[in-house]
Amino acid sequence: MKRELLPSSVDPTVFDEAFLRQLERLMLVTKKAVRGGMKGVRRSVKRGQSVEFTDYRNYTLGDDLRALDWNLYARLEKLFIKLFIEEEDVNVHILVDASASMEGGAPDKMLFAKRAAAALAYVGLASYDRISMAVLQGRVARRFPSVRGTGRVFQVLADLSGVQPAPGPTDLVSACRHYAAQITQRGPLLLISDLFDANVERAISELAGTRCDVAILHTLSTDELDPPLEGDLRLVDRETGDGVNVTADLYTIDAYKSRLAAWQARLEEVSTKRRVAYVPIPTTLPLADLVFAELRRRNVVAA
Amino acid sequence: MGLLAPLALIGLITIPIIVAFYMLRLRRPSQPVSSTFLWQQLVRDVEANAPWQRLKRSLLLLLQLLLALLLAFVVARPFSEHPAGLARDLVLVIDASASMSATDVFPDRLTAAKRLAQEQLAQVPSDGRVSVIAAGDTARVVANEATDRGRISQAIESVTASTSASDLTDALKLANSLAKRARGAEVLVVTDDAFSASPDVVLEVPVRVLTVGRERDNQAIAALAVRADPSGLKRTLFVSVANYSGSIVGRSLQILADGVPVTARDLYLDPLTRADVVIDELPPGASVVEARLAPATDGDEPSGPPDYMPLDDAAWAIVPPDRLRRVLLVGPGNVYIQNAFALLPNVELYGATAAQWPTTTGKDKFDLIVFDGFVPPDLPNKPILAFAPPQTSPLGVVLGTLDEFGMGQPAVNDPLLRGVDLTRLHIARTQQMELPAWARAVLPGSDGPLMYAGLRDGQPTAVFAFDISDSDLPLQVAWPIMVSNLAGELLGLNAAALDPLAPSSPIDIPITPDSQGVRVTLPDGTVETLPPGATGASSVTFVTTRQLGVYRAEVIPAPAPSGSPGASPRSSPSGLGVATEDEPLLFAVDLFSSDESNIRPGDGARLTALGTDVPVDPANVGTARDEFWPLLAALTLLFLVIEWLVYERDGARRVLNGLRGLNPLRRSAGKAA
Repeated sequence: MKRELLPSSVDPTVFDEAFLRQLERLMLVTKKAVRGGMKGVRRSVKRGQSVEFTDYRNYTLGDDLRALDWNLYARLEKLFIKLFIEEEDVNVHILVDASASMEGGAPDKMLFAKRAAAALAYVGLASYDRISMAVLQGRVARRFPSVRGTGRVFQVLADLSGVQPAPGPTDLVSACRHYAAQITQRGPLLLISDLFDANVERAISELAGTRCDVAILHTLSTDELDPPLEGDLRLVDRETGDGVNVTADLYTIDAYKSRLAAWQARLEEVSTKRRVAYVPIPTTLPLADLVFAELRRRNVVAA
Repeated sequence: MGLLAPLALIGLITIPIIVAFYMLRLRRPSQPVSSTFLWQQLVRDVEANAPWQRLKRSLLLLLQLLLALLLAFVVARPFSEHPAGLARDLVLVIDASASMSATDVFPDRLTAAKRLAQEQLAQVPSDGRVSVIAAGDTARVVANEATDRGRISQAIESVTASTSASDLTDALKLANSLAKRARGAEVLVVTDDAFSASPDVVLEVPVRVLTVGRERDNQAIAALAVRADPSGLKRTLFVSVANYSGSIVGRSLQILADGVPVTARDLYLDPLTRADVVIDELPPGASVVEARLAPATDGDEPSGPPDYMPLDDAAWAIVPPDRLRRVLLVGPGNVYIQNAFALLPNVELYGATAAQWPTTTGKDKFDLIVFDGFVPPDLPNKPILAFAPPQTSPLGVVLGTLDEFGMGQPAVNDPLLRGVDLTRLHIARTQQMELPAWARAVLPGSDGPLMYAGLRDGQPTAVFAFDISDSDLPLQVAWPIMVSNLAGELLGLNAAALDPLAPSSPIDIPITPDSQGVRVTLPDGTVETLPPGATGASSVTFVTTRQLGVYRAEVIPAPAPSGSPGASPRSSPSGLGVATEDEPLLFAVDLFSSDESNIRPGDGARLTALGTDVPVDPANVGTARDEFWPLLAALTLLFLVIEWLVYERDGARRVLNGLRGLNPLRRSAGKAA
C-alpha cells in the first residue's frame, strides 16, 4: 500500500506499507470457539466443512457419502461419517477511549490509541474477521459500521482519522455499558484507554459481563509515568478543569509513581478476577513491538 | 546569665514574619495534566480561597524558627559571670626566644605558650585591660592596654618565634614600666624558663609564671669556623657539637661545601659535653661551608633520645677567599715593607720607583698600592697604604715636618691594632698632617695624627705620617702583625670579617659613594634592597638578620659615574671589602647560643621571685565573663546546614544517587548481574 494510494480521508501518518505487510502475518486469537455468521477461518462450535477432523458418528440415511470413512469400513465393515470442525468468522470489538484525558502527552496518547486500534483492526481484517469499532466519549459509545476483509482497511483508517478527543468529562462506565448493550455477536473485545476514571473497575466489570475475550490496553504517556514536574504547581485536569496544588519534588514524584504502580496492580488484579487481559502500554512503545511482542506475549494475538 | 546586647533580641520579630510567610497562600503556576485522578491523593498543600491558610506542620518552618531564635541570641551575646582569676590590668609577656621553637610539646613551645595565654584570657575581668609583650630578639609591645578580647587574641597569635637569644630582661623591664601605670596590675609571663641566668631586673608588681616544655634533649652545633693556615693554602674547618641531653647520644655530623656533601662523621656525645671536630679536607674554591646534625642510626634504630630543637642543628661558615692579591710598592724600596708583605699568604708583591709610576701600566690590576715617601698627583681608585706623604694630597694635608712631638694614646680597640703593642714605639721624625674628614686616628700625636685610616671615596686607605725607617717599628714584633692587620682591612683578608653574626645583629656593608645601595639576598631567597642612608655614604647597615643561613650582598652600581666626593669619618669596623656584582659579600648568621640550645625548662620560680609578694588587691579583681555566642553560632551553622539539606533534599538525593553510581564495587556488581 503506497501512501499516495490512501484515500484523502485517511491520515497518512497512521501506517506505512511495510508495517501493514507485517500485520498480515498476524491473526487475532480467540480463546474459545465462537458462533459466527459467515464462513471464516475461526473454529466454530458447529461441525462443518474444514480440514480439521474432530469426531466420528454412525452413518444415517441421507448423509453425504463424501464424508464416509472408507478405510474404517474396510476394517470394521461398518459405515462411519467423519465429522470436521466448522470454520466461521468472528466479530472483533475495538473500543477507543476518546475522552479529553487522552489528549496530549509525549508521544500523544490519542494518536497512539488510533494507530494501535488501526493496527489491531487490520490484523482482524487480515484474518477474515468482522471488525466493530467504537469510540467512547461522554456517556456513550459511538459505533462505526462493522467491516470485513482487508479491502475495508481504508474505511477503518478513515473512521479513525476523524476521531478527536471530546471536551468535557467522560463517563467510562456508562460508555462501556452502552456498548455492551449493543453487542450481538461475541468475540475479542479490545479497549484502548488511559482508564483515568474513578469508576474504572466497574467499567471493566461491564465489559467482562459481555462474555467477550476482553483485553484492556492501558495506555499511558511518559509524562504520566514519570511526570517532569518541579516546584509549586497547580495541576489542572483536562477533562474536568479541576485544579490540584502540589509541591513537586522527588518525594512527591516517588509517591506518585508508587501510587500509579499500586493503581495498575489493582487494575490487573481486578482484570484477572474478571478474566480480562490487562496490558499496560507506554506510548513510547513502538507500534510494531506492541503488536508483535507485547500483545503476543499477553496472548492477545498469535502468529 | 545576661545579655551583652539585649537590643539584638529585636531580631526575634523575624519569627512572626516567618510564620506569616508560611500562612500566606502560595501563588502557583498552572500546569495542565491529563487527569488529576492520581494526584488528588498526594496533595500536600490545602487549597484555600482566602489569601491566608491554616498553618501546617512543617520541618522547614520549625528549622527556620529555630534559626531565627539562635541568630537573635548570637547577636545578643549571652554570657555568665564568675570571679576573675587575674588582675584588672594585666601585662602578658610571651617568651619568643629561639628555645621556644623546641618541639617537645606539640606542636612547639611557642604555640603551646600562645594557647596557654589564650586560655588565661578567660580569667581576665570583663573590663580588664591587657598589654601583650613579645620577648623575641627585642621586647616588642604587640597590644597596649587593649580591652577587646578579639584584638588581644589576635595580638597573641601574631607573636612569632625568634631565632635569637633572649633572657627576658628587656621584656620584664618593659612589662614593669607598663604595669606601674595602673594600680594593682599584674605581670603574667609565659615562658619555658630555659635561661642560664636569671633576668637582671626587679619588678614592682606581682609576677605570675606559666611554663611550657617538658624535655631537655637537644644537640646543637655550638661553633663553626673556617680558618686558613699561615701559608694560606689550606682551609681548616672547626666544628663544635654540644649535647645538652642527660644521656649519651649518637649523631651524624654532615659537612657540605657550597651545598655539596663533603664528609660525614658519626659522633657519640656524653651527657652535657661538647665534642670538637677538625676537618681539613675542604675542597678548594668552596665559599660556603654548612654543617648539619642528623640522627645517627645503629642499624635501623636511632641512637639516643630525639633532638627537640632543629633550629641549632645547622650552621654555616664563610670560607676566607684564597684569591691571589697583588700589591704594588711605589718608592725607593724598603726591605721592611717588602719582607712584611712577603710573609702574607696569597699576596704577590710588585715594585716600582716614583719615576716609573707615570709609565706603569695595569695599575687597575693591583689590589693595594703602597706609596712609600711618594704620592702621585692623581691618586688611583684603589686601596692605598701611604708612608710619609711628602706633600698635600687627597690622602691628607701636610703641614710640615716635625722632629719633636708627643705620641698620643693608641686606639687599642681599633682593628688595625689588634694584637699590636705600640707602647715602646719610638719615632724620630714625622710629617705633620691634618686628620682628613674620612679618616679615624689610629695613632694620634701631639701635633697631628701619626697614623690614621678610613674609607676614602669608598676605598680603604691607611696613612702613616712617618717613614718607618725613622722609627723602630720595623724592629718590633708588632710590625708584621700590624701589616697583617692592614692587609686584613685594606685587602679584605681579615679573618674576623668572616665570623658569623648572631641573629638580629646589624652588619655594616661597605659601599662605594657613587653606588645606589646594596641588594641583599636572604637565606630564603627573598631580596632586600637597601639604599644608602645619605649621599656619598660609605656603608649601609643591614639589620634584617633574623633568618639563620647565608646572606649575599651585592652593591648596586651607579648607572653613570657621578664622581661625588665622599667624606665619612666612619671606618669599616668589620673590615669587609666592598661587595661587587662579580664578587658579592657573603656573611653567615648562626645561632651559637648555649642559653637557647640548652632547652631544659625551668619551673618559673626565679621569675616569680622577681616580682613583689603583695597579692593582687581583691578590690581590683573583677568578674570574668564566659560568652556563649561561639556555641550558639556553631549550633546556628549546624541548623542552617540541616535546613538547607531539607530544602534541597532533591539535590542531595541526586548527589547521593550519583555517588552510589560512582561506587566501583556496585558498578561491577551491576555489570556482573
